[in-house]
Amino acid sequence: MASLISVIKERNKTTPTWLKILIPILGLGGLGVVAVLAALAAFVVTGWLGQPVPILGFDQTFEQPINFPHTVHAGTGQLVDASGNARLNQDLMPLEALGLDCTFCHRTVTTQANAGVPPVAQCAFCHQAIGPESSVPLTQLRQNAGITGNEPLPINWRRVTRMPDHVRFVHEPHIRFLTANPASIGNATADVNSQQAVKPALTCSTCHGDVAAMAQVEQVEPLKMGQCVDCHRANNAPTDCAACHQ
Amino acid sequence: MVTQAGFGNHKWAMAVDVDKCTGCQACVLACQVENNIPLNTQDRFERNRSISWIRVERYWEGEFPDIKARFIPIMCQHCENAPCEPVCPVFATYHNAEGMNVQVYNRCVGTRYCANGCPYIVRFFNYWEPVWPESLRNHLNPDVTIRSRGIMEKCSFCVHRVRRGVRKAASESRPLEDGEIQTACQEACPTSALNFGDINDPNSRVSQMKKDDRYYTLMPQLGTSPNVFYLAKVDEDREIALTGAESEGGDGH
Repeated sequence: MASLISVIKERNKTTPTWLKILIPILGLGGLGVVAVLAALAAFVVTGWLGQPVPILGFDQTFEQPINFPHTVHAGTGQLVDASGNARLNQDLMPLEALGLDCTFCHRTVTTQANAGVPPVAQCAFCHQAIGPESSVPLTQLRQNAGITGNEPLPINWRRVTRMPDHVRFVHEPHIRFLTANPASIGNATADVNSQQAVKPALTCSTCHGDVAAMAQVEQVEPLKMGQCVDCHRANNAPTDCAACHQ
Repeated sequence: MVTQAGFGNHKWAMAVDVDKCTGCQACVLACQVENNIPLNTQDRFERNRSISWIRVERYWEGEFPDIKARFIPIMCQHCENAPCEPVCPVFATYHNAEGMNVQVYNRCVGTRYCANGCPYIVRFFNYWEPVWPESLRNHLNPDVTIRSRGIMEKCSFCVHRVRRGVRKAASESRPLEDGEIQTACQEACPTSALNFGDINDPNSRVSQMKKDDRYYTLMPQLGTSPNVFYLAKVDEDREIALTGAESEGGDGH
């Protein structure tokens, strides 16, 4: 502080007028200003930590019990590994992504509140035959499915997309609306907004982003109440509190 | 008439036929289970801090042996002109376009002004963090918020069931049928004393019941104009001049 003051005194002759007024104020109330700024910073940081938004790295990604690649199942085009080389099958032919519809696995999304996570048996339906035996995640999957002879065990997937507390979100009416009104679909990857009606899987991007391109799924939208209400107002949806808070 | 986008022009009401009520308390139990209400232990009961969104009040009429038990189920009356609403400093309770008196739990700060304002004593304060024994953990209804300590709660007209019914009808592209939406208490009532429906629909069951000569509301002198109304008990020993008398008769409960 002392050195700062000496510097200011040295430069006093060339200091502009607004700084001459500002410096005594800061000097007198310096501690108070610092305290207020610290409190503000603490408030903002706790706010961010409490309800993470995808800024400054506070987005939520989780290490899942089995590293399920949405890129392989839901994505399209040729598959590449971590170093960018094309992935090959046993006959050294390039592997292509499956391009499965979201609703193939998340089956209840068009009828119920929860999108639903498929049972291990559904994974095993394909993977008892498909995929190399050396693959670590597939070995674990087959163990969980009980194919290898042990007790079947459900996989404890971790929830990635979270809404704030006290809100009851139901997928079904949202999918119903967006399939009939594609103009309201957000984060669209393909040209869907100009179409008359789309299939349910094309509406997911509004809140979930382009999951098919995510190696590890993360929450891309903050999904706070302001976002919900903005969309509800724009689309003439109910804004009654009891529509969501029950 | 204020209409709410997306939900249609409904106004929910409940008709309670007191003549049919046997005082069996099935509604009380059904409500308790449906709405994740914590268990009312004896300790809480003795301190007048028990929570029951619907209660069956019992009145004795006459002297033994010429004595009659009178029962009347009382839940939130969802008043059009509710005394609980204007006193809330944070707008946690308000009237929505469907005639429901809504309690927004995450807005509530627990001033308890609304409970003091309510003449029907149907608002309840959570004095404790709700806990259930381990054996009951999986019985909780996922559609209903669990209210934490320090906030008010009351009968919601089973708003989650109403939303579910409206949603189901919309997904099947058909109008909502009368009687399709049932509240938990109505579902449990063995004598169909409780009837829930849309009063805006002139052909609905509640609209028909409202035209009954036995129609009355609780404490009409307060001008709260409730959406819950009652049909008086038919008693051959008494003249039928029962407007409001049922709730005021008897000598305490």
